[in-house]
Amino acid sequence: MLLCDEYLTPASLDEAFAAMEKNRGRYRIVAGATDTYPWAREGRAGDVAIPVLIDVAKIPELRERRIDDKRVRLGAATPIQRFLDDPALARALPCMPRCAVWFADDQIRECATIGGNIVNASPAADGTPPLIAHEAEVELAARRNGKIARQRMALCDFVRGRNKTALEEGEILVAFECDALPGYGGAFEKVGHRRSLVISLVCLAALVKLDAAGRRIEDVRLAIAGIDAVPKRLGDVEKYLRAGMVTAERLEQAAEMPVNLVASRTRQAYRREVVRGFMMRGLINALRRAGADPNMLSPEQEASYA
Amino acid sequence: MPELRIEATINGRKVARPAKPHLRLLDFLRDDLELTGTKEGCGAGECGTCSVFVDGVLMKSCLVPVAKAQGTRIETVEALANSGELSILQKAFHKAGASQCGYCIPGMVMAATAAIRSNPFAGREEIKERLGGNICRCTGYQKIIDAVEMARDVQNGKLSASVFAEDEPEDGAFIGANVRRIDAPSKVAGALKYAGDMVMPHMLHVQVLRSPHAHARVVSIDVSEAEAMDGVEGVITSADVPGEDGFGVFVHDQPIMARGKVRYIGEAVAAVAAEDVLTAKRALAKIKVVYEPLPAVFDPDEAMQPGAPVLHDYAPDNITKHIPIRVGDVTKGFAASELIVEQTYSTQAIEHAYLEPEAGLGYVDADGVVTIISPSQNITHHREMLSKIIAQPISKVRFIMSPVGGGFGGKEDMIYQGMLALLAMKTRRPVRLVFTREESIISTAKRHPSRTTLKMGLSKDGRIRAFEMRMISDGGAYGMSTEGVMRKAAILAAGPYAIANVKIDTYGIYTNNTPSGAFRSFGALQAQFATESHLDICAEKLGLDPFEIRRINAMRDGATTHTKQKLKSVSILRALEAAEKASDWEKGAPVSRGETRSDHATQGIRPPCALGARFEAPAAAERSEVA
Repeated sequence: MLLCDEYLTPASLDEAFAAMEKNRGRYRIVAGATDTYPWAREGRAGDVAIPVLIDVAKIPELRERRIDDKRVRLGAATPIQRFLDDPALARALPCMPRCAVWFADDQIRECATIGGNIVNASPAADGTPPLIAHEAEVELAARRNGKIARQRMALCDFVRGRNKTALEEGEILVAFECDALPGYGGAFEKVGHRRSLVISLVCLAALVKLDAAGRRIEDVRLAIAGIDAVPKRLGDVEKYLRAGMVTAERLEQAAEMPVNLVASRTRQAYRREVVRGFMMRGLINALRRAGADPNMLSPEQEASYA
Repeated sequence: MPELRIEATINGRKVARPAKPHLRLLDFLRDDLELTGTKEGCGAGECGTCSVFVDGVLMKSCLVPVAKAQGTRIETVEALANSGELSILQKAFHKAGASQCGYCIPGMVMAATAAIRSNPFAGREEIKERLGGNICRCTGYQKIIDAVEMARDVQNGKLSASVFAEDEPEDGAFIGANVRRIDAPSKVAGALKYAGDMVMPHMLHVQVLRSPHAHARVVSIDVSEAEAMDGVEGVITSADVPGEDGFGVFVHDQPIMARGKVRYIGEAVAAVAAEDVLTAKRALAKIKVVYEPLPAVFDPDEAMQPGAPVLHDYAPDNITKHIPIRVGDVTKGFAASELIVEQTYSTQAIEHAYLEPEAGLGYVDADGVVTIISPSQNITHHREMLSKIIAQPISKVRFIMSPVGGGFGGKEDMIYQGMLALLAMKTRRPVRLVFTREESIISTAKRHPSRTTLKMGLSKDGRIRAFEMRMISDGGAYGMSTEGVMRKAAILAAGPYAIANVKIDTYGIYTNNTPSGAFRSFGALQAQFATESHLDICAEKLGLDPFEIRRINAMRDGATTHTKQKLKSVSILRALEAAEKASDWEKGAPVSRGETRSDHATQGIRPPCALGARFEAPAAAERSEVA
């Protein structure tokens, strides 16, 4: 059970910082609250009494969405469901709709925010790999001597470990900025115990851009979570695939490369199998959505991966 | 504590009232506004019984802080039929038989409403995907999805609304006719009150202190500080039981609350009735219990060894029940066999996970009758037991069965009704206890975990010559339904097969695990899992088709079972034929198929679980032209 004496809904960053300063050491920030409530139950944190909850979900800066062909700026309190139902976002972030459709369920996605997913820093957070693949930066704000100061940090540096981030006391994660990648094919592969409301055992984000003929990979972005304490960008694999022709052999070679990165606490052998399969399936799905030759695979490969 | 003031439009009416800042929207709707059509099944966003629309968007109200409702327009299930007529979806749920226990149904109807609002042309896969956040334990979902498709088609004019009408039974014969459930309208409308939805004037709220130890002597319990708290009206322990303390489906080995010692983690030790749940919870923290931990045993085979910790004085060998069956002579049968296969099978504990957590009300009525309202699956027996426990004549004890929001056997045991009775008697006020999901899982009976050794002797033609089974079941800390489960397991272990020589021993054993009890199939599952798996292994070794080996051994009309029951008719051959046909069975021994399936990804074979049906679906506009 989650208890609080006060529930504050600041309308601006200044109001939020004022509430944080006034209640230093006795508040917790919530946005969607979909991680906070299940945490405050028997078997996890149990009954939790937090004197002040500060709900930042309504602060306009945290709801911002600015999208052009080069960059996306996204307020931290953007609900996950917007990646599915906002066509401009879906075009700029081509693997996010696939990620979002696997995220919890339609109802929780309306409440849960992308910022909350990142700040919670679960090793299996679904939102992190796609944003890492888009080379996202986080924007953190703090108020010092009455003035709001902001700083930027690469998302892959922000997530520090299991449930650990670089967020400091008194700071708020305000927004993300990342590459817009329209025209890329996007894929998100995820496995867990069921279809909805499931924590990823492994999840993989793949983005591919092909040349005009649809045969050569111009750019590729790959990031994976669930195999270690923090999500990982697969730079070596990207380097291998970039500027190469799309062949089944090269895809199989690429799929093999990250298998040995698996360093999870449990089920390593299973995860290695999944990584190999997801690399193939993620790449194939992204390639197809980028306009690759639909007959690039042999029928056996088709049956195994597609 | 600065209260919030919530102003919102709820089901079309303006509401402006104070609310405690820690409330969830669910609490505000259910407790403050008494809109109990919205249920609480898990409190953690997993089950969807609490789904409501907030500004037209479906959300799980157990994850929404009430402050977020400020200035919004909220629709609960009560809004769907507020004109008095059920909505199209509600009618479809009624017609399709989509509602059984009904507890998930308000949330399910809301999720279905959201799905059809989001995409009026959603296909079956997309409907499944959009309903993914809502759990049902009765239907297996098929009828729910059928109902949504039916409603979609009526809404789109593809089906006439006359499909909602009841099928006319031919010549007045109801067998085989599709009859709508009489109680379904109350469930699809969210109008039906389950025990946790009921309130009584002057009602107190109950919380239970549970054991953190698997096995420990209770040295002392001091409730004085809890009793002295403002708002606390009564605290009880086993010392408050006036009569003969003990209940159970077969053996009355379980006290209302721990007496002298605790035997499993989660066992009730004391209970508090207070003006509100929070005060009752705080009072629990003030109860001082001194435990002296005892050696515990968690494995039934270990519990059967000499020198193992003993749970109950009456059963020094920890055997709750042993059921032996002897038919013919298995030694001779094995001697006459050409193939002997021995194998050990195990099954694990399973939680029933009905969507309705346990709940109940207790009160002493104007005539002094101690009355319990709860979703008990066994009220007559509970009444008899409670009358002895509270030392009252049976005419002064009354049980009322509230709608059961899923039971599956898990609500047969009287594990909390006794506490309600004692607190009602002590406080002379109505009391109500509503379990959390975690409490339900930690304290209620599970399916018996089992370890079964099966030895079967067969002749080359596939005939079973001898059958010898020894099943050890973990009954946990109390007897509950163990005796019956062991009996049923033994009776059904050898299956519907004509076997001349049978030796079966099933044992229910006390351990310090969560008690095991009744669960659908009542012991048959564990035994049949062994027997049927074993037949497949034997078929493989003999080069026989698995259907064939079963046909060879099947009992025929007029057979006598292993427990001497005469069977007029036996349906196994018909069942086998139907299963063979429905499964599109490839004939042959289990080894004939090789490593791959030729029917993979063909019509009728379900593809692997995936998501994204909504990406494949044509846009709604295109669909509407097609339609």
